[in-house]
Amino acid sequence: MINKKVEIVWIILIFFTIFAYLLGKLELINTLLVGVLLVTTFIKGQLVIDYFMGLKNVSYKYRFIPTLWLTLILSLVAAAYY
Amino acid sequence: MQSNQVSREPYPPGDFAIWIVIYVELITFGLLFVGYAFSRRADVLTFNNSQLIINKTSGFIDTLILITSSYFIVKAVHVIKSSNFSLQKANQIASKWLLAAIAFGGMFLVNKLLEFSDIFGQGITLSTNKFFMFYLLLTMFHFMHVTLGTVILFNIFKKTKKDGYSKEDHRGLETGAVYWHLVDLLWIVLFPLVYIIR
Repeated sequence: MINKKVEIVWIILIFFTIFAYLLGKLELINTLLVGVLLVTTFIKGQLVIDYFMGLKNVSYKYRFIPTLWLTLILSLVAAAYY
Repeated sequence: MQSNQVSREPYPPGDFAIWIVIYVELITFGLLFVGYAFSRRADVLTFNNSQLIINKTSGFIDTLILITSSYFIVKAVHVIKSSNFSLQKANQIASKWLLAAIAFGGMFLVNKLLEFSDIFGQGITLSTNKFFMFYLLLTMFHFMHVTLGTVILFNIFKKTKKDGYSKEDHRGLETGAVYWHLVDLLWIVLFPLVYIIR
């Protein structure tokens, strides 16, 4: 079951990476899509934190730090962009 | 209500010291990411024009490589921690996953060297402009982390060859694994920020 989840996580990560690449390569990026890109980056980062780093079922105080980092950095990137 | 309760591990995987390293790395890279974003805001035209020179496809391939190598590492840890194989068999399978991850780490490094070679071949340096200062600083700093991560994985690989990890004793494996996932996490933010957003 855990293995299956990891496979799904890998597929999602690859899918969002292809999405980001196509936005850049096809020059489709615009103000709205930068927001979408940042949201998908957050999802990718959180999946890595939870399922690859293995913090999903660890005490909240340890899971909270990288999640806070990700939220803060992407929010500041968004603030700088908009 | 109580059925939703999940029993949580008190400590994260791996040696506690690696988590101190991870938090320091997150802060360091975080400052560089934010520095990049606000420097871009101050000079959008230079950043957008300079970004056209860097190779998006190379950055994309790097992302696929790192995500997939991270997946291989998860499989290696899972085999040691949770499978019902004998000690010898579990280490044998884990070593194969680790070797695949190391090979992908090597591919990342080669791909990055080709990218740097192309950039330097165009006469671009750290002092060309602020975009390239951040681009080279971030990607080279990250490159150093991938290099270190690959060396760590190779040492873990050597230990699996001696059947060195078991269900009870695999902290070293987990420590190396979380460091590799950190390298992946940092690139996941770096790729859209530097290569895509404009």
